[in-house]
Amino acid sequence: MTNFLITKSKSKYFKNLGCLILMFVFSAAVNAQTTVSGTVSDSNGPIPGVNIVVKGSNITTVSNFDGTYSISAPSAGTLVYSFIGYKAKEIAIANKTKIDVFLEEDLNNLKEVVVVGYGTMKRGDLTGAVSSVSSAAVTQSVATTIDQVLQGRAAGVNIQQNNGAPGSSSSVRIRGISSITGSNEPIYVIDGVVIDGTTGSMNANPLAGINPSDILSMDILKDASATAIYGSRAANGVIMITTKTGKKGELTLNFDSYVGWQEIPKQLQVLNLREYGTLKNARADLGIVERDNNFIRPDLLGNGTDWQKELFTTAMMQSYNLSASGGSDTTTYALGIGYLDQDGIAIGSSFNRFNLRGVIDSQVKSFLKLGVNMALNKTEQVTTFTDGSLILTALKQTPNVAARNADGTFDGPDTTEFVQNNPLGLALMRDNHNENYGIRANTYAEISFSKSLKFKSQYSLDYGFGNNYTFNPSYAFGALVNDIREGTRTKSLSQNWIWNNLLTYNKNFGVHTVNVMLGQEMQEQHGENLYGYRSGYITNGATDLNAGDPTTARNSNGSWTRALSSYFGRVFYSFNDKYLLTGTIRRDGSSQFAKENRWDWFPSAALAWKVSNENFLKDNKTINNLKLRLGWGIVGNQSVPDYAYTSVYGTSATNWGSGQIATNTANPDLGWEKTKSSNIGLDLGLFNNRIELIADVYYKKTDGLLLDLALPAYAGTTGQGATAPPTFNIGALENKGFEFTLNTLNMQRNDFTWKSNFVFSMNRSKVLALNTESGVYNMTLQQGSDVTVVTRTSVGQPIGQFYGYKVIGRFEKATDFYYKDKDGVVKPTALPEGMAIGENGVWIGDYMFEDVNKDGVINEKDTGYIGNPAPDFTFGIGNTFSFLGFDVNILLTGSYGNDVLNYQRRWLENPRENTNLLKSALGYAQLELIDPNGPNDYRNVQIVGGDPYMPRIGASSASSASNYRLSNRFVEDGSYVRVKNISIGYNLPKKLYSKYGISNIKVYSNAQNVLTFTKYKGYDPEIGSINQSVLLTGIDNGRYPSPIITTLGLNVNF
Amino acid sequence: MLISKILQTMKTKKIIYKVLLIALPLIWTGCSDLLDVEPDDRITKENFYKSESDFQAATGPLYNKVWFDFNDKFYYGLGDGRAANLYAPYSDYVYPFTDLTETGLTGPLVSAWGSLYNVVQQSNNVIIGINGSTVNESLKSKYIAEARFMRGIAYWYLASLWGDVIISTDPRELVKNPIVNKNPLKDVYEFAMRDLEYAAKYLPETAGQSGRLTRYSAFGMLSRVYLSYSGISDNPNSGSRNQEYLDLAKKAAEKVINSGPYSLMPNYADLFMIENNNNSESMFALQWVPNGDFGVNNTQQAYFALSSDITGDDAAWGYWTRASYNVLQEYESKDVRRKATWMGDDDFYPEISKSNGGYTVDHAKDFLTVKKGVVGSTKDNSKITRMNSALNTYMLRLGEVYLNYAEAALGNNASTADALALSGVNKLRVRAGLDPKTTLTYADIIHERRVELCMEGQYWYDLVRRSYYKQQEVVNYVTGQNRGTITPILYDSATNTVSVDATKSTSSRAIGVIDATIFVLPYPESELVQNPLLRENPVPYQFTEERIKDLFQ
Repeated sequence: MTNFLITKSKSKYFKNLGCLILMFVFSAAVNAQTTVSGTVSDSNGPIPGVNIVVKGSNITTVSNFDGTYSISAPSAGTLVYSFIGYKAKEIAIANKTKIDVFLEEDLNNLKEVVVVGYGTMKRGDLTGAVSSVSSAAVTQSVATTIDQVLQGRAAGVNIQQNNGAPGSSSSVRIRGISSITGSNEPIYVIDGVVIDGTTGSMNANPLAGINPSDILSMDILKDASATAIYGSRAANGVIMITTKTGKKGELTLNFDSYVGWQEIPKQLQVLNLREYGTLKNARADLGIVERDNNFIRPDLLGNGTDWQKELFTTAMMQSYNLSASGGSDTTTYALGIGYLDQDGIAIGSSFNRFNLRGVIDSQVKSFLKLGVNMALNKTEQVTTFTDGSLILTALKQTPNVAARNADGTFDGPDTTEFVQNNPLGLALMRDNHNENYGIRANTYAEISFSKSLKFKSQYSLDYGFGNNYTFNPSYAFGALVNDIREGTRTKSLSQNWIWNNLLTYNKNFGVHTVNVMLGQEMQEQHGENLYGYRSGYITNGATDLNAGDPTTARNSNGSWTRALSSYFGRVFYSFNDKYLLTGTIRRDGSSQFAKENRWDWFPSAALAWKVSNENFLKDNKTINNLKLRLGWGIVGNQSVPDYAYTSVYGTSATNWGSGQIATNTANPDLGWEKTKSSNIGLDLGLFNNRIELIADVYYKKTDGLLLDLALPAYAGTTGQGATAPPTFNIGALENKGFEFTLNTLNMQRNDFTWKSNFVFSMNRSKVLALNTESGVYNMTLQQGSDVTVVTRTSVGQPIGQFYGYKVIGRFEKATDFYYKDKDGVVKPTALPEGMAIGENGVWIGDYMFEDVNKDGVINEKDTGYIGNPAPDFTFGIGNTFSFLGFDVNILLTGSYGNDVLNYQRRWLENPRENTNLLKSALGYAQLELIDPNGPNDYRNVQIVGGDPYMPRIGASSASSASNYRLSNRFVEDGSYVRVKNISIGYNLPKKLYSKYGISNIKVYSNAQNVLTFTKYKGYDPEIGSINQSVLLTGIDNGRYPSPIITTLGLNVNF
Repeated sequence: MLISKILQTMKTKKIIYKVLLIALPLIWTGCSDLLDVEPDDRITKENFYKSESDFQAATGPLYNKVWFDFNDKFYYGLGDGRAANLYAPYSDYVYPFTDLTETGLTGPLVSAWGSLYNVVQQSNNVIIGINGSTVNESLKSKYIAEARFMRGIAYWYLASLWGDVIISTDPRELVKNPIVNKNPLKDVYEFAMRDLEYAAKYLPETAGQSGRLTRYSAFGMLSRVYLSYSGISDNPNSGSRNQEYLDLAKKAAEKVINSGPYSLMPNYADLFMIENNNNSESMFALQWVPNGDFGVNNTQQAYFALSSDITGDDAAWGYWTRASYNVLQEYESKDVRRKATWMGDDDFYPEISKSNGGYTVDHAKDFLTVKKGVVGSTKDNSKITRMNSALNTYMLRLGEVYLNYAEAALGNNASTADALALSGVNKLRVRAGLDPKTTLTYADIIHERRVELCMEGQYWYDLVRRSYYKQQEVVNYVTGQNRGTITPILYDSATNTVSVDATKSTSSRAIGVIDATIFVLPYPESELVQNPLLRENPVPYQFTEERIKDLFQ
């Protein structure tokens, strides 16, 4: 992506040339010469390489590395300061000899270059839907991984962190959902290296190795006319990431560092010891548990252990980045080194990263340019807390158990039955961490055959080496004793390479501009892993496998290879800068499919009309830019299981040697999932771009959905020894939506500017067809032996809606067991199947469920949709204020109309459970005999207390299970508005440090997740997806909350 | 100067053009091969089912992995829990069955259904794979017989538990259309019998590898299935059984007793030691792999073990998994099988905690936990690891075949003095330290079955078999087990004597309705949701192959 700079400077050059000629005609000749000097700077400090021209002459100079310049000019002349990405500034010399200039970044520059697939384009020439996010977004947030930077900053991009633990992944959805069981994550193209955003796990983030501060810009290709050039893998959008390259000029050094504090946003209200004891007594009264003699007088007890307090702490984070860049006329370089260390707010979670990178671009011959870009990283992540689901253990552990003994060792419950482990002890003693090493590099050669014809060959690689370490020590936490020490080591290797060859032709013929690109690409991804296990360690000290007992050893190893071969081309044509046309086509061959289905076409076309360049608008004072865009294209998704097209067998141990068991049902006809999408867009600039609006409406239809057929268990597809359900191209779904970005410059006065930025995204998804007319796709969650369908996807409905029973009330009195139908006939109220009126069955204080099919029993036929995790719309509002050297940025993000399934309330709010519970569990319906001397008959029972929406304590497991079956009781409104970021920066006055050779010092503070306004009762309404599955989105199953972060930082330029 | 520079430039350009000329063909050829990817970590169908060793590799997992979810909790949760041998008031994998409150959502029920159908479909996959092989036919039938045996048993379980179920011989058809009708109980039984008959005909006389099936395994299993089938009629209270199938059951059992290679172990407790896996009495046992991965391990000890002292790790969740008052009353005072099945206070087990000289149970006399399946820690036997006892799970052993024979010989009579029946049952009684019988009634046989096979996942199926023709009697029996009343007990381990602890009061437990519906389990709810036809009437199954008739000639 290095031709980026050339294109940029060229366009500037032409523009300036034009200016010069114009100026030459109109300006008067001035003879008195003077020497003007000064410094050029922006809000971050001095800018080297700024072009300074005496207006109407060819006298020119460039600012030095420290931003200073000196130029000889007529004393009555005017100086023009221009630099890529900044608004040009004209200043009359008026006999001054010292002129310090402050250049403003030009965020609305239509000449700005946007990175598109295999090339770049001027924003003004774009015909597709592309959002861009600049590196400023990185400095305005506490982003540890790049996906977090985009949140709330790009229209049409919905990002939710799946987990608040350091280094964990996000669910990124560009324009909704285009696959049900395939991946919905976009691909990331980092300096030409394609990185898949899919991990399928909660913790590992494939982007964790990338240092956000190395990033220059991110361009999100959203519609198919922009993404089709990436063909078979582009269905979920493409995020183009460009890292910083060198700038011509003297060496500049930048040092940036911050320290931060992180805190848990809130604690859930759980029972203290007195409440727990009281409830336990109530349960003993009902014969559910044995009476505990420690709770004879619960009111005399203290609060007991607050397990959340034990596990969550204020955690530190720190970051250091040092970068250098510079270059001569022919060669530029950039180097960087960075370190990030983030502790988790939960004990047993942390992340750190070390980055090293270097970029060199060199015009070695007039016709030959070579370059190399290398980035190394090492990350280390501790996941003991999340892997052990310790958040649930902490909530469930009872307050009568102490965290530690008097001697500091860990304590635990005094029995082993139906108790929770000591989450603090486990978090601190268990080892579960991974180290990953990554190398991402590319090298290219670009040959210019002529001014307009170029050939570029680029080879990119992305190697990764991962190590995972676990050790389960022996311990004795109270009665819980573990003597068996177990250790595992997992090594994984990934080797991805891409080689592409591009031929480009750019030429202007009068009013015709033609841009042609032809390309060929090959890529291969290969992965391997090696796993080893031993137990029988003698101590908790040495934990390598060698220290374990060799006779307990287990191991495994696997590998996979995927390859893609492609040919593609793009034609861009512009007529008079009014009518623009882009056409692309790509032909992909993939190893993931059988030979006959391997190759396919992915075409796209887009038109744009720059209305503002028409004569009738050309001189319009209000509208300075108006462009209409129309695009269409087809993109694919090939995320199918490996070898799904043929039958494969897996090795399974037997006592007679290795056994083989069928692991899939082959589908030789498998092919790409294809998404057709259409886009209509409008770009509008008003009042000299003080108001800029980019709006898009789109329709996407996915056909041949890749679906892991949801088959009943009698097809042999669930549990141990099952065959994986086959993947089919069946069904269709659609997404339609509307999104816009509004950038405004609200105020600009002397030293004060106020800019706003508003992004709005709205998407509706709907399934159009599945494998059968009545086909459904259910997803289940398992907790202990409870397996529950939590979401259902069916034809005509949005994807992954929550599915369950509807509570319509509570049996309050005897007459509730009967109702009069419309004919006035008294009928019994529907009861759950297999249950009758009775204390052990359905009783006063139990929930009444809606009998949807009116058959008089409540069973699975009465389930229905009870919530939709997809928001009605999401938005982000950014406001930037600059004054007196201060920069203040405030970003609000929000989501409206989405539901959250607060899944753990099914247990944490059930007063019959043996664990510790949420305080709300105490609101159970309290029952009493109406006539104390009467029989224990439902006609003689009344509710005398408790929360009007809570059921009684279930007298039997059946009544408890019935009340706490998955129902709309556990679905909550997940709408929220969050003050996502507040950043304040201050540039210290130069006179304080300029004599030390320092060109700028900035201090700043960022605050992240500052405040959240929501009705949601859990930790955090931003839930994301379990295992990045769209079908398990918005389900809070003990999600690690995103911390509140406050940082204090320093940025120094030398 | 300028000219030389231009020349030099041209030279460099030429080199570059040459490089391009060489590179481009490479690119073209490189692309075509790039996409042919062969897996290195697994076998594809193109190179499998080529030899007998492939057949062995394919049938091997039918002895363990496919049964894992069944063995994990359902084997005893249903087989013993539902029959009230087991009392586990806090273990949700046992008490819903004992309390008769299970639903289509009960976890182990759902996973057992899936597991039994995994047995069916993986057996089908093996049958389809072997049928498509070019290896010689007699070898093919031998291994098809092995797979059909497994499928037959799975269908026997499915029929016994759910009654009408879906018969499938090819998972690929269900992939095309999963919404199919279920088949009636009688057809499911017939399907199971035909599979086992095929197995009895084509399985080998002796097992090539220790623990593999023989044709006598199939005869033994047939004796059980024929017995069940003999009771089925339109009238669940007919009171009598079909003589034809009683005779078949008798003949099948006789075949095993008289011609088979199996013999009783001298000592009952030895049956449940790891070193005696695949002993002379074992006719079909699930073959768990010592130190095997999750899926081929036997997890039962973890759910049974009284405490961490026994397993040496935290996987010991059996403190509340106890013998029911009802089952304890069944034991005769000298019966050694009690100590081999249940651990009571003061019982001593030399094979557990060997480093401490053995393990003595030491707690109050008010409960007994499970012994069968509990073998100790890795220090006692290196084959044992966390959540893996390495102990095979009995699915059929000779002891049961003796009892099957006796029950078939008894037939519709009140008692029998059939010599072979008496000798078989008395061998079991004498081994247990008890006096032999001179005649046998149903009560004698069912008592013997309950005790002999206790905690081997059998007793509920015995009750179901009886319910086919004496349903009310079984309903009354289950009612009489008084499951809703929890009686505090005192147990004297030395004399197998259980008494009521008068110092404590009884407590009650919410249980489901006891009527004819308890003999049919609910279908898993997710299955009903996906296939509404499961709630429709069953449709007869169309048998296509000829039934084997020459087994007993």
